[in-house]
Amino acid sequence: MIRSTRHAGFAVAALVLLLVALPHLLSQGLLNAAIQMLIAALFACAYNLLCGQAGMLSFGHAAYFGVGAFATIHAMKALGGAGLVPTPFLPLAGAAAGLAVGAAAGWFATKRSGTYFAMITLAIAELLHSLAPHLKGWFGGESGVSAMRMPAFGISFGSTTHVYYLTMAWVLACLAALYLYTRTPLGRLTLGLRENSHRLAFLGYDVHRVSVLVFALSAMFSGIAGGLQVVNNEAANYVLFDMQLSAAPVLHAFIGGVKVFLGPAIGAALMTFFGYAVSDLTQSWLLYQGILFVLIMMFMPDGLAGLWFRCAAWRARVGTLRAMPGLLAAISAALLLAAGTVFTVELLQRLFAQDYRALARAAVTQPWPSVHLFGRDWLPGAVETWLVPLALLAAAGVLAVIAKRMVRTMSYATEPRGVTASTTPLAQAGSST
Amino acid sequence: MDTFVVSLLNGAVYGLLLFMVSAGLTLIFGMMGVLNFAHASFYMLGAYFAYALEGTLGFWGALVASPFLVMGFGVAVERYFLRRVHHHGHAHELLLTFGLAFICAELIKLFFGNYPVNYRIPQAIDFAAFTVGSVGYPAYRVFMGGVALAMFGLMYLLLARTRVGIVVRSAIYKPRMVEALGHNVPVVFMGVFGVGAGLAGLAGAVAGAFYTTNPNMALELGAMVFVVVVVGGLGSLEGAMLASLLIGVVTSLAVSIDLSLADLLAHVGARDWAEAVGGLFTLKVSSLAATLPFALMLLVLLVRPGGLLGEKP
Repeated sequence: MIRSTRHAGFAVAALVLLLVALPHLLSQGLLNAAIQMLIAALFACAYNLLCGQAGMLSFGHAAYFGVGAFATIHAMKALGGAGLVPTPFLPLAGAAAGLAVGAAAGWFATKRSGTYFAMITLAIAELLHSLAPHLKGWFGGESGVSAMRMPAFGISFGSTTHVYYLTMAWVLACLAALYLYTRTPLGRLTLGLRENSHRLAFLGYDVHRVSVLVFALSAMFSGIAGGLQVVNNEAANYVLFDMQLSAAPVLHAFIGGVKVFLGPAIGAALMTFFGYAVSDLTQSWLLYQGILFVLIMMFMPDGLAGLWFRCAAWRARVGTLRAMPGLLAAISAALLLAAGTVFTVELLQRLFAQDYRALARAAVTQPWPSVHLFGRDWLPGAVETWLVPLALLAAAGVLAVIAKRMVRTMSYATEPRGVTASTTPLAQAGSST
Repeated sequence: MDTFVVSLLNGAVYGLLLFMVSAGLTLIFGMMGVLNFAHASFYMLGAYFAYALEGTLGFWGALVASPFLVMGFGVAVERYFLRRVHHHGHAHELLLTFGLAFICAELIKLFFGNYPVNYRIPQAIDFAAFTVGSVGYPAYRVFMGGVALAMFGLMYLLLARTRVGIVVRSAIYKPRMVEALGHNVPVVFMGVFGVGAGLAGLAGAVAGAFYTTNPNMALELGAMVFVVVVVGGLGSLEGAMLASLLIGVVTSLAVSIDLSLADLLAHVGARDWAEAVGGLFTLKVSSLAATLPFALMLLVLLVRPGGLLGEKP
């Protein structure tokens, strides 16, 4: 236990050092992506306080992100553009707005639990989304609100590097605060909300009040994330209230793993990075993200972080050398599956794109012209075009079965009693809903 | 007066449409305890399937075939997705359907593009059924309302008057007991899920031609359907009917009200103050039409958290 704690400590210290050194290692464009990753990580962790720790599934967290963003932009614009507070403290406005709106919305939403709660949060977000374009004074209508970052404390905040350090400081401070929160009595109460709210009530706690408090805190940290986004973009638009943004922390948190504190942050950082990296190559990034989410919900409910820990535990049990073939088989199965899926989706995307349809209609001699993909031309009518993804997917399936069998036989060989099936992290969350 | 009657009728038709979608959601929830996030996606799929089949089967053929396709899709979702994660608990099922809804929307964008498609009602039935004052009332709206009412009647007869209905109702109430009596409850669940999905698909196929068919329609309607089931009370068909009609009529009437809070405050002599404050005070009710259902939901939660016809929490 002590060893693993020390390991985690080293890992976090290394991560912080890497984050500090990042501006010297990356180009401006990548640094901008790093800012987005940090913001998404904070948003996902703020979301996880409510969803993973308190067991309340919210589908409308964009509301608090957006409110925080707009509060920050108005703070930035206040006093004739001078800003209500110096630039580094602007996200405080987002925090205050997130806390206030979160407390009000949370009061309604936490009146019901489980399924109702999920629907109410979604409806509150949609309420703001439908109202925002009409309130020009607050949300600036269709065009939105923009402002300028002002220099403060001798720092100009003109370059991406300055903004990066500001964002990094805020995100690290908030993540530290969120982590320390889990160590406080209130943090334990939050877990109690998820595990058994009836028992909390019998112990004399006001469950509704605790729920509202947790909801408001989660909204506050989401508001800070929104504020940081605005400090970076210097503009805010009512599109911030879109469902797309509410879906992001849900996908990120569960892909990363809600049972590990940094799981959502890792999921958010990974997904945002890939989204940035492939945004030029594909239009279907959200589709891949959705497929990944569904696969994770179906086959490894504790997310990537949970998968990592399970692999590590298994490796520790059977030894690195003996674990290797099984791990290799599993990894290659995953890679083949990804390759097959990407090929199919990209092929379909090109075949159903508007310009290809126009091309197909115009071509008289050959009704189905070829599409260029991965450095080759593929004829939609040819058998091999469809054989390639099928072969990839079939190979992935075979390898997955082999890997599963390997892992199982080896586990039985080393653990004669037979380890029972993995625990299901959401079962508890589900039973309380 | 004429416009009032017309908006009342429009509201009722929209409400009936909402009911068609929320009925399936409520039934599925009552039976399996699963809030199906993808339910509004079934509505969208219904519209898109009908659009895709229109060329080969004709409008009416597509209208009949599309709900069955959606039903098959719903059955597959229940059998191969939901049943697999059932032992993880309801929160997990909710998240899975959320992911499926996400994938549905993205796939629709992939195949049909991220813009409204040209799915319209045929010229032949685009005429006025009757006139209210001087305004002609479109026959297709009457048809939409008729489909919803016929569906409500059929479903009621099926649930209340047939042997299948008895098994379904008892499976909702005591699934284990029904299983012990020799009925195949998983198949009943699958059937109800499929029928619920098919109903949503039918609503989509019928309504998509009249309203717009675009990749956002699932989300727009989905939020409204959630409002309906919260206001009506989850699991109650009558509640869903009442809430759908209420919300349909309220939204439709609000569009034609050209008043704001400032006009109301003018009666107590505070118009200037209200106009100086701006914001919510000078907002016209007509532009709030899309917001009112959500406000109604918050109000219901405040005074009757179980919903209008739901049980006490």
